[in-house]
Amino acid sequence: MKNSVKSEKITMAIAIAISCFALVLIMFMQFKIVNQTDITAIENMRETELRTELANWKAKYEETELKYQEVATKIEEYKQTKQSNEETEEVVNKELRQVNMTLGKTDVEGEGIQVTLREKENEELGKIKSENLLVIVNSLKQAGAEAISINEERIINMSDIVTINNNFNGFIKVNGQRILPPYVIKAIGNQTYIESALLGNGGYVDELKKLGYDVSIEKINRLKIPKYNDEIKTKYME
Amino acid sequence: MKNKNVISIVLGMMCFALTLGICIQIKTVTGSNSIIGENKGGNDELRAEVLRYKERYDNKYKDLEKAEKELEKERQSSTQNNAELEQKEEEIKKGNKMIGITEVTGPGVIVTLSDGKKDPNTVLNASDLIVHDADVLSVINELKNAGAEAISINDQRIVPTSSISCGGNIIDINGEKVGAPFEIKAIGLPEQLAALSRQGGYLEILREASVGVELKKSNNITIPKYTGVITYKYVQNSK
Repeated sequence: MKNSVKSEKITMAIAIAISCFALVLIMFMQFKIVNQTDITAIENMRETELRTELANWKAKYEETELKYQEVATKIEEYKQTKQSNEETEEVVNKELRQVNMTLGKTDVEGEGIQVTLREKENEELGKIKSENLLVIVNSLKQAGAEAISINEERIINMSDIVTINNNFNGFIKVNGQRILPPYVIKAIGNQTYIESALLGNGGYVDELKKLGYDVSIEKINRLKIPKYNDEIKTKYME
Repeated sequence: MKNKNVISIVLGMMCFALTLGICIQIKTVTGSNSIIGENKGGNDELRAEVLRYKERYDNKYKDLEKAEKELEKERQSSTQNNAELEQKEEEIKKGNKMIGITEVTGPGVIVTLSDGKKDPNTVLNASDLIVHDADVLSVINELKNAGAEAISINDQRIVPTSSISCGGNIIDINGEKVGAPFEIKAIGLPEQLAALSRQGGYLEILREASVGVELKKSNNITIPKYTGVITYKYVQNSK
């Protein structure tokens, strides 16, 4: 009698354990499915979204293909000129010049846009602040600008734009150099893209105009932007 | 006997809770499935095309990474027997680090910005609690001012062509979408970069607006390389 009660208890315990295990298992499976739905976000997109997505990937693919060809050509050039130091030097110089262009260490030119921004006279609230210039530079980059300068100060990767003394006597420093109004911002890139990014509805130049600033935009077919004037030093990164 | 009752009630409740959990899960899953089903009509081809291009891009990008490594080796072996060339090779390598197309490490700070946890109904302007693209732009600018040498936001490396823009409740950096909390890493002299917390600095303005701000110094920060490509169409070196 006692034995049968005991074995009944054990069977019960095992049955409950198995069912609990099964339930937990199912729950985990479900969790996994829910997590996966995140990956299949593409499945949920509507047609217009899919078309922009497709255009994005296409552009990214083409850009990468172009870069790949460029790198492959360079490898080939190094291989072919291995025997002669003089020829190798030419290839190295070419690559170094490209790197320096991206860094902002060379004078550059190309089609682009010049924005001239004047302050409102005798108005403390009409002063242009570093934030204004920061937003313009960011919009220019967003529109694909390839080189930018403010009052001939080249904007490089680690360029800062700050206001010193936030009052009537305040002034703006770019790359640690004091600049004075009117601010002339040059950008090399697709003129149509840049112009519409600045002047279109919600564009920053459009906004500044609405606030009463005197801003003019000029398309220039051979815009020259000077190199960064200082040495670019790095001490901490490896 | 009483003991048994208690056990069975507990077991019953547990089973009920588990079943409830499963039911909720099933409902969620079927719910999301039905959305997929609704949209699927007619766009299959387009969807496949997107996936195809994404895959083509992924493969091409891997090829490019391989080619870049090969180029580095080729350049090194081509220049190693000449001191002048070797110096130029070194300059190219250093330049690529500064541009952001290779990974870098060093001392620096990690700034984390997260949306405020205050109840939006208790503040005058609920928008102040959220981290905006302009906030990130200003913090990056202050880091540059404090001498940062390399910066990333949620592992998106800042390169010369990087822009930051708003896309609803997320922001767009290098064409990639990132959401709060924003983890901004910067390499430079940690003490100098930590000056970002100073009185009147932008971080203090954010703190006063109840945005979550955290600044940590670190002696070993790794900033990843840029995951896109930099190509030029309009600009060229002046003669």
